[in-house]
Amino acid sequence: MSITTYDPIGVEPAPAPVPGRRNVMLVGALVATAAGTVLIGAVLGGYLSARDIAQARNQPWPADDAELPNVALFVTYIGLALSAFFAQWAHAAIKMDDRRQAYMATSFTVVLGLLFLNGMSYCWNQLGQVAGASPYATHMYAVTVTHALVVVAAIALWVVVAFRVFGGQFSPRNSEPVVAAVVIWHFAVASGLVIWWALWFVEGGPG
Amino acid sequence: MAMTETRPAPQSDVALAAAPAPEEPAGLAGWLSTSDHKRVGRMWLATSLLFLFVAAILRELLAVERLNSGADLLTDGTFFQVFTLHSEALALLVVVPFFVGLATYLVPLQVGSPELAFPRGAAVAYWGYVVSAVVLVAAYLADGGITGTTAASVDLYLLGLIALALSLSVGAACVVTTALTMRAPGMTLLRAPLFTWSAVVGGGLLLLQLPILVADLIELLIPARYAGDVGSYGDIAWVWGVPAIYGLVVIAAGVLLEVVPAMVGRPLRMHLAGVVVLGLLGLFGIGGWLLDPTAFDDLLYVAMGLAAVVPALALLGILGDTVLGGSPSLKAPLVLAMASAILLFLGAAAGAVQVIEPLELAGTAWESGHAQLVLFGGAGLAAFAALWFWAPKIWGVHLSEAAGFAVAALVLGGAILTAGPDLVAGAADDLPMGALEFEETDLVSVTGGIGVAGAALGALGVLVGVGAALAAGTRRRGGPPVPDAPWGAAGLEWTTTSPPPAHNFEEQPVLRVERAP
Repeated sequence: MSITTYDPIGVEPAPAPVPGRRNVMLVGALVATAAGTVLIGAVLGGYLSARDIAQARNQPWPADDAELPNVALFVTYIGLALSAFFAQWAHAAIKMDDRRQAYMATSFTVVLGLLFLNGMSYCWNQLGQVAGASPYATHMYAVTVTHALVVVAAIALWVVVAFRVFGGQFSPRNSEPVVAAVVIWHFAVASGLVIWWALWFVEGGPG
Repeated sequence: MAMTETRPAPQSDVALAAAPAPEEPAGLAGWLSTSDHKRVGRMWLATSLLFLFVAAILRELLAVERLNSGADLLTDGTFFQVFTLHSEALALLVVVPFFVGLATYLVPLQVGSPELAFPRGAAVAYWGYVVSAVVLVAAYLADGGITGTTAASVDLYLLGLIALALSLSVGAACVVTTALTMRAPGMTLLRAPLFTWSAVVGGGLLLLQLPILVADLIELLIPARYAGDVGSYGDIAWVWGVPAIYGLVVIAAGVLLEVVPAMVGRPLRMHLAGVVVLGLLGLFGIGGWLLDPTAFDDLLYVAMGLAAVVPALALLGILGDTVLGGSPSLKAPLVLAMASAILLFLGAAAGAVQVIEPLELAGTAWESGHAQLVLFGGAGLAAFAALWFWAPKIWGVHLSEAAGFAVAALVLGGAILTAGPDLVAGAADDLPMGALEFEETDLVSVTGGIGVAGAALGALGVLVGVGAALAAGTRRRGGPPVPDAPWGAAGLEWTTTSPPPAHNFEEQPVLRVERAP
């Protein structure tokens, strides 16, 4: 069906027709990433604002009874950072049509994501902070739990991708869903690294 | 051991496009399991109209109680709870869902796509909206929302709002992705219809603002859940205050920019001007930074509140120019659209006055009057204009012209008469927003009576509008067929049947653009 219409904006004639469906998964992932960036930015902004207020009033920040498990935090976040390489490796393997490497890389990505969640639960336990007991605890949990939920969502997406990889659904020509999953994963990792720096590194360092 | 791997042959895009539409189950099972954007869109529209009626009834209840007639329908605490539920319902259960639903239905048709991007995501968004709306209302019925006395009901309230914001975000993401990636060959983004543009701008704004609301709610949930420390309503009221409120009605402006040119038989003089107006509305509607209460004294707050008049004025100018240069046929969609434009402009003007700090209007009843003008009046009438205009495409019938005129008159009058007393009470008596107890003066008595009459008119208008839509839904089975383009409007959605077939178009449309003669 061909429909002729007049140019509504009065510029050059229409360009050559292009395929109707363009990078839907990738653009959807980028849209979700933009919304996720705002979400993480908002909770992080709330944390930094509360920190400024506390410091201006000479109140302790982190709370006096908080013991930052710096080594465990460092290892946990480094593990998350490492998972970004595996996610990228999974995409590269699919582009090279190397299925065995793709199996391995997707599996490692999911496992490292689960290890991050395990590490965070250990760190929360070691921190000894009761949620809501102080502004520090409220905002610290708001940031880290929100990020953990983002990682859970990314893991769920990767589990779906992993099943599809095992089912042989992707090929060098058809790897867009994997690219979308990689974008989401990189966002989860990048936001994690920003949180590590803002919440943990500047408060006590990795030592 | 030799191992052989086999892989299914990849399906080409052409094969996918040519695949027949999957059969959906009939009856209730079909509605519950559907991922067809047209069915999902209709469900969004029907549910949000139902909540519009509820919001109108709540408004009437508030007006009667404020009349101080001795009826004492609500206690002090309950009055504030009904006030907060009314505000939340109007913004997040009516206006945003209605326009997300309308965009879910129309954007694929307008861009020439056989389907919506992430159709199952759109269905999940709708059902998430329904469930979270039920949870939100249940939290109010159980113990009064954010001012509830038990931790469990406050948790329920906050979780309901978080789920609602996430559902609306998913719905908006599906629409924005469709507009960006699934346009027909030949349709560049700049040439996309203005309603689609408004869906991109308005949906994008939702994706920028609703996550901030979610973050805010998470920071309220943690102390409420674990320390019993409940935050205040003011922490989330920025969503329907100046300037964020304009972000909620960008799609309403898109409706007006589609309906008016079609109904006067004259395209906009400058398509690009419409795009710029929508962009400006979006730009001045960003208000997530208002989380900090000190921002109300900020120059940025004042500047953005004042600047919001510019796109509203430009919208009125563009529409006025189109009407004057065309040959208007006095049909219900045009009357509804022009009434909406007037109220949106009045709302923008009231918002501009509100941010002038020496007048001390922020936090008073002036704000709720402003929200009435913009959300109930401007956006509500735009929603009805959209229903009357696109009803042939949505249900395959025309809605009653007489009912359309009645809705325009009742809602226009109702919104002005409801908002007026609030504006007066805020300006003259400094009546705090959501307050029940106030000094009884002659002025307050008179305006209170007007407010009751206005709220009743508004509720009646909504009842007529919803009734007309329901009647259309039942008439569609036996009525005469409606032509593909009953208004003579341009646009891809008018090139297919009314209502469209399963995959929207019999063949993939290809847009060929020629210079105007």
